[in-house]
Amino acid sequence: MNRPGNGKDLNEGGEFQSPSLERLVRSLNRLPGLGRKSATRLALHLVAGSERTTVPAEELVAAIGEARDKVTNCERCGAITEPDPCRVCTSERRDTSLICIVATPIDVLPFEKAGFYRGRYFVLGGLLSPLDGVRAQDLPFGKLQDRIAEDEIKEVIIALDASVEGETTALYIQRLLEGRNLELTRLATGIPVGGALAYTDEVTLQRAFQFRRTF
Amino acid sequence: MRIVSASVDGFRNLKTASFTFSPRVNLVLGRNGEGKTNLLEALNYFALGRSHRGAKSDELIHFDQSHLHVGLDIEEESGATLACEYGLGRDGGRRLRVDGEALRRRADLVGRLATVFFNPDSIRLVRGGPDGRRQFVDQGMAEIDPVFLTHLTAFQRALKQKNGLLRDLKKGLTDLSTTRRELAAWNRELAGHAAAVCLGRWQYASFLTPFSNESHKSLTDNDLQLDFSYAPRLESVSKAISEAAENPISKDDLEREILAELDYIMDSEIRRGRPLIGPQLDDFKVVLEGVDLRVYGSQGETRTAAIAMILARSDVLFQKRQIRPVLFFDDIFSELDRERTRRLQEMASHLHQVFIATARRDDIADWQPEHMKTWQVNDGEFSEI
Ligand SMILES: Nc1ncnc2c1ncn2[C@@H]1O[C@H](COP(=O)(O)OP(=O)(O)OP(=O)(O)O)[C@@H](O)[C@H]1O
Ligand SMILES: [Mg+2]
Ligand SMILES: [Zn+2]
Repeated sequence: MNRPGNGKDLNEGGEFQSPSLERLVRSLNRLPGLGRKSATRLALHLVAGSERTTVPAEELVAAIGEARDKVTNCERCGAITEPDPCRVCTSERRDTSLICIVATPIDVLPFEKAGFYRGRYFVLGGLLSPLDGVRAQDLPFGKLQDRIAEDEIKEVIIALDASVEGETTALYIQRLLEGRNLELTRLATGIPVGGALAYTDEVTLQRAFQFRRTF
Repeated sequence: MRIVSASVDGFRNLKTASFTFSPRVNLVLGRNGEGKTNLLEALNYFALGRSHRGAKSDELIHFDQSHLHVGLDIEEESGATLACEYGLGRDGGRRLRVDGEALRRRADLVGRLATVFFNPDSIRLVRGGPDGRRQFVDQGMAEIDPVFLTHLTAFQRALKQKNGLLRDLKKGLTDLSTTRRELAAWNRELAGHAAAVCLGRWQYASFLTPFSNESHKSLTDNDLQLDFSYAPRLESVSKAISEAAENPISKDDLEREILAELDYIMDSEIRRGRPLIGPQLDDFKVVLEGVDLRVYGSQGETRTAAIAMILARSDVLFQKRQIRPVLFFDDIFSELDRERTRRLQEMASHLHQVFIATARRDDIADWQPEHMKTWQVNDGEFSEI
């Protein structure tokens, strides 16, 4: 239906009098977390910003190119790294009998930033989700099993989202590893540190209560 | 709870306007197609986070406008007031706010504005398919128990995923050996949520029945027994419920039984390429003196039973959460006899703020409740009379 007021197709050429600027905005807009507005602001800054405040285009292009060439996924654990295997996988100081399963390479970062974890990682690269075309055959479960056997892993920590997909993937892994002589644990969920009890949603509260611990 | 005032801008055919409502009875009169339902829809949108008619945002925005904005001042039972507002744009923008703060999750909205809506479609609650009854119960339970809503949402998501997996398998996109283990994982995830959903539905039916029975008696002035009861599709659930009197149900046991039932049917589901059993097929029985109204009810009987059940939902909400919802009656009286109409009007307005929309003045003839406000609407323009 073409009602007046539906201005979507009135300015097909975009809001700029410049197809190249429009193209840049559209490319930036395709990046995750960048809406059309922020993409426009960034594009204008890159193209029309003063030399003092902006990054020269060549430098930006070179940085992106180099990072794309050099950064890779660790062939052992799947984390993002330049040296391959990554430093976590080769470090002598890491506990080799401990492995933490996460969904994406980004999920490794908070652990490493916090610095308390002494074991290694295994990045699944996704969660079971047939609706997104991800089935068991699409995730590296075979590699996970090999890894556990080779490294004589004693404890597996599952650190996946508390979503339906995360839970199901965890249940799948549990079944997969059943009968092996190892400890299988999961991250606890509960009230965030610094979070006020009165503002905790009922579901989180119920879980925190269910998994309460003794002093 | 009540809507103290509202301002409407760009909503369907409604002219930009502000309203101050009566805490009791608000009557909207107008010929067909003038904008009565539109006003009720605009007010009720905030309760559901969507149109009760299932309209898309685009359809709600006035033909000549690019966005709409509606503000509502709500007074809670405690006397506290909330400034609620929502805005929709043709660009797909959608904002809901309470006291200036944006709402992000569906659960944030539940219970902010509690309403109960009656319109000629309400009869489908008794007459129509089981999905209408499931939705009625699920919504009612979610209103009083947020944990139920979380399980329901998770259950629906997991069911979609399992459905997708069975479809892929049927199309040959995935191989049987890994898929069995994967199906088992989805079944385990489903079983936990299914147990919570089934228990919630069972509880809700038991909360509802005494109230719907009582409302039904007051509406009809007879002594017939109206029973609303849960008819689960899973055998494990039927069994647990029938034995509940001697053997209180444990959620963990029920979850295990449900899982066994789901796993047992896995081969058939693989062959058929879709889930075959589960709470997604549940129903509820509506029985008047031993007669199943879903099948045998007369027009008037089904309509009265449906109204009694919907009124009961408001009683349950009050019993469990001390909230009296706002009641909307859109064109509902034309098919009830005068006696029942009057009883319903008295019952409803006794404890709630009500909004009544009708094209026929007759419907409220010589009913003069206290604190009644009346509007006449012509082509989207409201004037108080
Ligand atoms: N997006 C829109 N923009 C402008 N007008 C609209 C829009 N959507 C619906 N309308 C118009 O609103 C009018 C009133 O609709 P509404 O459903 O409120 O009528 P009503 O007063 O409840 O009538 P009835 O007694 O028949 O139920 C309709 O004529 C319809 O064409
Ligand atoms: Mg109408
Ligand atoms: Zn590594």
